[in-house]
Amino acid sequence: MMEDKFQIVGIQNPNEDAPNQVDIGRQEGVRPIFPRVVPIQKPRRHRDKPILAIVLLLTIVTGCLACEMIMTKDPAYMDLKNYNLPPNGEFLFGTDSMGRDVFSMIWYGGRVSLFIGVLSTLASTAIAVVFGAASGIAPGWLDELLMRLTEILLSVPSLLLVVLIQAILGEANVFSISLVIGVTSWTSIAKVVRTEVRGLRESEYVIASKCMGGGFFHILWHHLAPNFVSSIMFMVVMNVRGAIVAESTLSFMGIGLPLHVISWGSMLSLSEKALLTNSWWMILIPGIFLVVTLLSITSLGNFLQKSINAKQSNL
Amino acid sequence: MKIQSRIRSRCHYYGRKVLLFLSSVFLLSIVVFYVSRLAPGDPLVSYYGDRVEKMSSEERGRAEERLGLSAPIFVQYVRWLDNAFHGDFGISYKYKMDVVEVIRGRLGNTLILGGIGFFLIFVFSLLLGVLCAWHEGRWIDRVICRVGTIMSCIPEFWLSLVLILLFAVELRVLPSSGAYSIGGDKDLVDRAWHLVLPMTVVVAGHLWYYAYMVRNKMVEEARRDYVLLAKAKGLSKRAMIFRHCLRNVLPSFLSIMAISVPHVLGGTYIVETVFSYPGIGTLSYESARYKDYNLLMLLCLLSGILVILCNIVAQVVNERIDPRMKAEVVWETSRDAARVNGGSESAGENEDAEEGGGEV
Repeated sequence: MMEDKFQIVGIQNPNEDAPNQVDIGRQEGVRPIFPRVVPIQKPRRHRDKPILAIVLLLTIVTGCLACEMIMTKDPAYMDLKNYNLPPNGEFLFGTDSMGRDVFSMIWYGGRVSLFIGVLSTLASTAIAVVFGAASGIAPGWLDELLMRLTEILLSVPSLLLVVLIQAILGEANVFSISLVIGVTSWTSIAKVVRTEVRGLRESEYVIASKCMGGGFFHILWHHLAPNFVSSIMFMVVMNVRGAIVAESTLSFMGIGLPLHVISWGSMLSLSEKALLTNSWWMILIPGIFLVVTLLSITSLGNFLQKSINAKQSNL
Repeated sequence: MKIQSRIRSRCHYYGRKVLLFLSSVFLLSIVVFYVSRLAPGDPLVSYYGDRVEKMSSEERGRAEERLGLSAPIFVQYVRWLDNAFHGDFGISYKYKMDVVEVIRGRLGNTLILGGIGFFLIFVFSLLLGVLCAWHEGRWIDRVICRVGTIMSCIPEFWLSLVLILLFAVELRVLPSSGAYSIGGDKDLVDRAWHLVLPMTVVVAGHLWYYAYMVRNKMVEEARRDYVLLAKAKGLSKRAMIFRHCLRNVLPSFLSIMAISVPHVLGGTYIVETVFSYPGIGTLSYESARYKDYNLLMLLCLLSGILVILCNIVAQVVNERIDPRMKAEVVWETSRDAARVNGGSESAGENEDAEEGGGEV
């Protein structure tokens, strides 16, 4: 064993001459460890804010809400003389194979699609919060049973479930389809709520509230909800997205909204015909609106999640 | 003595899992049976077609008797269960064939599409994830993440439509539907050619989300102290990433992939329907529309069993690889899974997924 094996680079042997220590930084071959300059990161205030997404989403939402002011035609009117026209001056986005004006349908139908997204998310979140909290507070065996139940629900093919419930409710309309999508999409949020509530239920304030006679919904609303809201926020926003996709997929396949109820999904259900006549505008335009909306919702959701890793990488 | 007790505890462990599996399947079968029997829609219509309208009520009664539709639901269930144990799941009302036969003809196609797709997703997401983590924060990482976000927002059915429009209608280079050309069912090249578009959609629809997950886990891992130690020891970046970080990320990735099998499956169902690819997806879509209960039930059961099986496999994998993961921690993965299902693609996900439907 040599003594120099134990030497630490950059730390001088105290036996050596004092003058050397002054030159330490400039010595050849010896790198100073401490004087390394750590770059100061600029505060990034605007970098992570999804400005573009918010602007796009606001445009689409206001456009859809105020569709009466934008629409150039009656979206439901079938102009049989002008069917299947490519975009032109009069019909900005062209007309579909039934002679309806695509531009007007986009705004009018967007209202339905967005409404379904929000409504079914409200439904599924309400179910999820109550169910998850009940499961989290319940004694072990009941909790096990409820969770098993959600797992089974998770494993039943959702589309089948949707089709069956829809069949029981009769012909699809905006409310029934949002309800059906809501009823089939609450399980994942419920699981998160349950996990959070399990961690919270032993805390003093919950016990105190219970002792003072607080009911289930009182505790849920005043003590538990404020604590788990942030952890389900992201999932709730994503649920809006999921619901919009679900509606459009269902309507596209012909199991959701009928053709005469205009939504982005039911507009796309004509695309089989559009493929035959090569009418790209009937497929691309509603789809692009759909994708842009979903994208904006996603970046909004990601922003809310705020999973920014502030730590420096060790690599 | 010690070995014996270990074997016993091992048996106990797997016995519990098997019991869990069986009870879940049993519950699932009850739910599926009841729901499909309670749903309105006349199965006689799908069996006899429009002739039902002209039947007298006596004929109707006889027909129902013969198909076993007149007994109370509970009795029907027990009868069905008894038959099922003998491998008889009833006949398809629409195809007038044994349900098992109908499915057998289609299962292979779905397995090819789903299986290869799943494998590709697995490999590519791992590669992309590691690539991103390697170049964390640099342009390639940012580009891949951005592309991934955009792709995960595109509904699968629309992506399929756009691809059909581009490659089949506009450029006429790829077929737009079916699994093979007429008469070409033995031709492997022809089959592969028909697989290109559906496979692209399946992989492109799911890949990004998992890649993103691998990346995030790797990035998180890179901030651990042991990486700093490895670096101080002078290990190369390659060794650190592949030998240390990846190794720690793999177990949770494996379990998430196992949980997401139904998710991918649900995605293939939609893709199948759009491309009219003769698999389980189109079959279940048809049977749902024509109220073909027996067929639908078996399809549901199959997908449900697959989901339950994958969940249990994921649990076992987790607990085997990492003994720290027991009971409570399993929720962590199911929470991740919930994110998978709820978060991403729901695009397919979920929701719309014909079957399997993860999230929804």
